[in-house]
Amino acid sequence: MLSRVAESLFWMSRYLERAEDVARIIAVNFQASLDAPGVSQELAWEPLIAITGDRVMFAGAYERYDAASVMAFLTRHPDNPNAILSCVGRARENARAVREQISREMWEQINRLYHIISGADMAAITLNPYEFFDEIRNGSHLFQGVTDATMAHGEGWEFIQAGKFLERADKTARILDVKYSALATNGGGEGKPLASLQWIALLKSCSAFEPYRRSHSQLQAWRVVDFLLLDRTFPRSVAFCLEQTRNSLSRISGSPPERPSNAAERLLGRLCAELTYLDIREALADLHVYLDDMERKINGVGEAIVQSYFVATLVPPGSPPRDRFYEAQQQQQ
Amino acid sequence: MGDLFDGYTTGGFFDEMFEEPGQPRPHYRRLFERLSELSRDDYDQRIGAADISFLYQGITFTVYSAHEGIERIFPFDLVPRIIPHAEWQMLDRGLRQRVTALNMFLQDVYHEQRILHEGIIPAELVLGAQGFCDLMVGVDPPSGVYIHIVGSDLVRDERGRYLVLEDNGRSPSGVSYVLENRAAMKRAFPRLFERSGVLPVEHYPQALLETLRAVAPRGVDSPTVALLTPGVFNSAYFEHSFLARQMGVELVEGRDLVAYENRIYMRTTHGLQPVDVIYRRIDDAFLDPLAFRSESMLGCAGLFNAYRAGRVTLANAVGTGVADDKAIYPFVPAMIRFYLSEEPILDNVPTYRADDPSARAYILENLDKLVVKAVNESGGYGMLVGPHATVAERASFAEKIRAQPRNFIAQPTLALSRHPTFADGRFEGRHIDFRPYILSGRGITIVPGGLTRVALRRGSLVVNSSQGGGSKDTWVLDE
Repeated sequence: MLSRVAESLFWMSRYLERAEDVARIIAVNFQASLDAPGVSQELAWEPLIAITGDRVMFAGAYERYDAASVMAFLTRHPDNPNAILSCVGRARENARAVREQISREMWEQINRLYHIISGADMAAITLNPYEFFDEIRNGSHLFQGVTDATMAHGEGWEFIQAGKFLERADKTARILDVKYSALATNGGGEGKPLASLQWIALLKSCSAFEPYRRSHSQLQAWRVVDFLLLDRTFPRSVAFCLEQTRNSLSRISGSPPERPSNAAERLLGRLCAELTYLDIREALADLHVYLDDMERKINGVGEAIVQSYFVATLVPPGSPPRDRFYEAQQQQQ
Repeated sequence: MGDLFDGYTTGGFFDEMFEEPGQPRPHYRRLFERLSELSRDDYDQRIGAADISFLYQGITFTVYSAHEGIERIFPFDLVPRIIPHAEWQMLDRGLRQRVTALNMFLQDVYHEQRILHEGIIPAELVLGAQGFCDLMVGVDPPSGVYIHIVGSDLVRDERGRYLVLEDNGRSPSGVSYVLENRAAMKRAFPRLFERSGVLPVEHYPQALLETLRAVAPRGVDSPTVALLTPGVFNSAYFEHSFLARQMGVELVEGRDLVAYENRIYMRTTHGLQPVDVIYRRIDDAFLDPLAFRSESMLGCAGLFNAYRAGRVTLANAVGTGVADDKAIYPFVPAMIRFYLSEEPILDNVPTYRADDPSARAYILENLDKLVVKAVNESGGYGMLVGPHATVAERASFAEKIRAQPRNFIAQPTLALSRHPTFADGRFEGRHIDFRPYILSGRGITIVPGGLTRVALRRGSLVVNSSQGGGSKDTWVLDE
């Protein structure tokens, strides 16, 4: 498959997942803020900006952290590259560039979603966010369903999967990181009602509340972290997402997961192994440091995918494999 | 009768279907009977079925406006144009003869230039042509083929005689509509095809692929073919992706290609993969920023050197523009006599070159009767239709002709043949032309059929899709 095509499919999928995650976080946060009338607007909404990591840009555009500003910034602020509108817009541009490689239904769905968001009225959304953010989430789910049902599950499809799961792993780690440290600094012990509402909101941000409930009767911090990081069956846990990404890369290269053939596969394999053999107490010793490191490694995998599959190389066939060539290049200081 | 042919007139033109009103030609009789049975409602229903099929298959123009992403249907008329077998055989022979001569002409002007030395064509006309590529002198494309794909535009005059209007030897488009029109037609009128003896056109992509594989660089047994497109924003992008899919080859953009030691590679997820034959749908000038326009983002640096070294084949070859220069077109019959010692089977439209002083005088005196064309334009651009132009437009063209005579030719305004076409709830005569596609590889292949374009506006002679043109399915009969 052409690198350009694979790259467009990968990013189309990543951007759409990012948009869905942002929509989910806003909706859940809105609901949680209703349950905690005593909490200041800033305390309730600032963490959302922290999750996408855009504090500086936000501070330049808005005076304070309140529901209206944060929603507007994350939904369609023109300068915010992580806003839902720009994510869906870029997903759509990538889809257009490979229009002949995706199904007609996929193109229509991504196009429809874009028009819903670009035509939306921000004032009305702030008053009643449920419907709008639900529609975005459903739109993204519909796209995934249509993709599964109408596109050949070949190499292109695997790149779509890899993009989706890698982005999701990153978002779950970030949500956990930001929310967990907010809870910790609040001094919210595990048993207090406000704190437990916050834990529920955290789980809901990852659509994890009901799956968590089915496997755990108690709402305990370490169990929540364990679930979101390591659960083997929940489709938004970091371990699950990375495992799926790894499977996709393995099917793309045709070499089994335990026989990595390029830098991306090697980095991902290490990360998966680390999670497989993790004692959750080690992570909890300083969760922020642990998750920060995790996010960096996930980024590293993303960059390695770009290098291994999308970047033009000038190595003639018959030379050493190109990731080794890259490493050789990188070693020359 | 109350049928859709009520009030149909031939209007003094050559009508493809009728010898005279109510009197269909023999090869149209069955179609005429079938269409006469239809009510307006039946017909609308079938149009609906065909339109939906177009939309489902994605044969649409994407219109970039305030409502981005809206896709429009390419206008398609359901009444097919029919060509009887004997007539097709004549066209087939005529086109083979013409393409053979054009190819020999290209081989000649880029090598010995015999035709120039012998004074058959003025040397300055050829060597000074915009489409003449100095860099191609002495270059030998594989198998000596220059124009692998030609789309010749044919028209019929008031007596029904076929004339060649131009030969598109650079990168003719439209063949995807030939295939899609046939598919839509089968959906709308499945029963019409039973025992009708319509020759199939569906094998065109396979024939194209075989043509491309046949001209691979020497020593390549199992060549990799790719289709080079300018990208998604090109108006013919649909066709590029359609043909690539039908042939099962990669659809590449310039940035997907890289030249390394005179070979061309595609950047793939599994590394660089060599490409042997490139069916390019971008103009010469944009192919390679090192050899041609340095600002081109569409091509691949180093492509031309690899081509000249014979390591990759380009179809069509570089420099074929000299053969479809409108000022050189009048010499095609002379080429046929010179290279093949045969009389041309298909005639040209009489053409006056403004370059020639006496012809120029005639053109300037008769601007109100002639069609004037700029020699290097296509798609209906740079054209003056004298009888339909204003005095001011004619004056401005006269000035341009005096300033740059080499750039203009003129032809009489032709009374193009007409064909029944659905308009305003019934059938009316509309002017048509015909573009068959000729493939040259190991031999010459012509898929029986082509693109019939129709000027949908009443009285209009312009069939280009950008100017209100549509298309029809074209049936060549097997006997």
